[in-house]
Amino acid sequence: MKSNQTGNPTRRHFMKAGMATSAALLSSSALAQETTLEPSRGPGKTVMEMGYYGERSEYVKDARMKGNRGTGLIGGSLTPLQHGHGIVTPSGLHFEVHHSGVPDIDPSEHKLLIHGLVGEEKVFTMEDLMRFPTVNRFHFLECAGNGMGEWMSPRGQTVQQTHGLTSCSQWTGVPLKVILNELGVRGDAKWVLAEGDDGARMTRSIPMWKAMDDAILAFAQNGEFLRPEQGFPLRLLVPGFEGNMNVKWLHRLEVGDKPWWTHHEVTEYADPRPDDKIRAFSFIMEGRSVITSPSAGMTLNGPGFYEISGLAWSGAGTIKKVEVSMDNGNTWHDANLEAPVLPKCHTRFTLPWTWDGKETTLMSRSTDDTGYVQPTYEGMYKLQGPIGLMHNNAIQNWHIAQTGEITNVRS
Amino acid sequence: MSAHKTLKLIGFVSIAISLSFGALFASAQEKFGFGKPAHPDEIARYNSDIHTDGSGLPDGSGDVALGAEIYEYQCALCHGEELEGVPEMGANSLHEGRRDIKKLPYASSLFDFIRRAMPLTDPGTLSNDETYGLVAFLLNETGVIKDDNLTLDAKSLAAIKMPNRQNFIIDPASRFTAEDLQ
Repeated sequence: MKSNQTGNPTRRHFMKAGMATSAALLSSSALAQETTLEPSRGPGKTVMEMGYYGERSEYVKDARMKGNRGTGLIGGSLTPLQHGHGIVTPSGLHFEVHHSGVPDIDPSEHKLLIHGLVGEEKVFTMEDLMRFPTVNRFHFLECAGNGMGEWMSPRGQTVQQTHGLTSCSQWTGVPLKVILNELGVRGDAKWVLAEGDDGARMTRSIPMWKAMDDAILAFAQNGEFLRPEQGFPLRLLVPGFEGNMNVKWLHRLEVGDKPWWTHHEVTEYADPRPDDKIRAFSFIMEGRSVITSPSAGMTLNGPGFYEISGLAWSGAGTIKKVEVSMDNGNTWHDANLEAPVLPKCHTRFTLPWTWDGKETTLMSRSTDDTGYVQPTYEGMYKLQGPIGLMHNNAIQNWHIAQTGEITNVRS
Repeated sequence: MSAHKTLKLIGFVSIAISLSFGALFASAQEKFGFGKPAHPDEIARYNSDIHTDGSGLPDGSGDVALGAEIYEYQCALCHGEELEGVPEMGANSLHEGRRDIKKLPYASSLFDFIRRAMPLTDPGTLSNDETYGLVAFLLNETGVIKDDNLTLDAKSLAAIKMPNRQNFIIDPASRFTAEDLQ
């Protein structure tokens, strides 16, 4: 065998052109005897060039997208759930909803005033607050309006548009009860008004039982300080309650004996029913799940193996079971729940699936540890009727065409 | 292990236990003492919220005519000349749907929110008189109180009974009943 083709111009050309040299190497056993190995990339960027707050790869483009409603001052952006992994949402992809934009707050000047029906009325700096004992909790946060556009008919092109107003983080902060106990709560205190320091000074009434249960004055998210759009330097976290109650840029808590029936409590976040009644104080984000992959906007690349992966969560407790149907709801299969499975937290579920190439519909259904089963749209209409807007937690259907194309449908 | 060593160990362990119990006991019983007492002036500067019984409503008054004037140049751009709403400006109708003023359970919410958050581009700049005037204008315009000469102040606003109040029902999951909230 001729051992040497060192001067082979074709091969040199290949390498210079940076083409697929592995293909070239496979093309001839003579080439395999070449002494020249594929050269390494050579040195990359230095630590200094990379900078001291790490950025993701330039090839990764996942981003939030603006919601349909609002001007940007009022309104928000949606999390790209279709590209997410695990249960934690990167802080930069956490959905956001604002009522007067994102304020710029210097934490050294930020204060929290607590007054009303308490033994001592006090003001805390951030330094004061961060001296209290802290907790670290993984919790989802979901806007009550997540999926509002889907009530009447399927409209979202992707799971980002249908479900992108939920995200999940590890939150660090001081349990509110620690501070309320420190100040002393009067016997007639039943509610706490939480006020943000944004332009709208947004307010919500929080029941005292929640304040004394698992509410957190959070200053950190996923191991670093809150992002500005998440309430820097301080937000209220009321785990499992509708997102709007998790007041951002928190600067005042007033303890009172009655709810305030604030603007948001009596308009967007009250739920009209078909009988002219309006359901108020519907705080809890009930059990819900959605398949994030494969999902609408994706196309399956022919028959074969696919892992079905999705998220389930419940504001009332812990996810106990997620069932997946790959045949339009005729049969259901228990999905794997990936640890950790935590209360009031996104839970990742998976299920191996081999697509036979035929048209079908995928759907998932969650059950939490209170026994609550995620409803169909028909089931949900019984509560709010088709006029609903908030608290859409119905089962989502993804239709798969023979071409592999996936779309948002209502079966 | 000799008896002497055992005794020493028991002594050490019991001291360690009592020390740690002591520390726990202290943290459970004593105050941390962080933060400063809030001065009444500081509370007054931020405590703008209006309660449903009208407490918190400030001095001053305003009538429909004043409200109409303010509405024209502060509100109409987004909320529309006829309160119909301009969706591209982020405002829905004030005559129907979730922002329907007739459907509000309390007039206090209206005063509170307008003074707190409006106008969108310059929130918190309306005077108390202007806010009373706007509430009077909006209640007249939406037919809740049909009176072109309506003038509101703290006392008269607190006395308003909104017609839709009884249609608000309380989600049982909130652990409150309607009676709790009266």
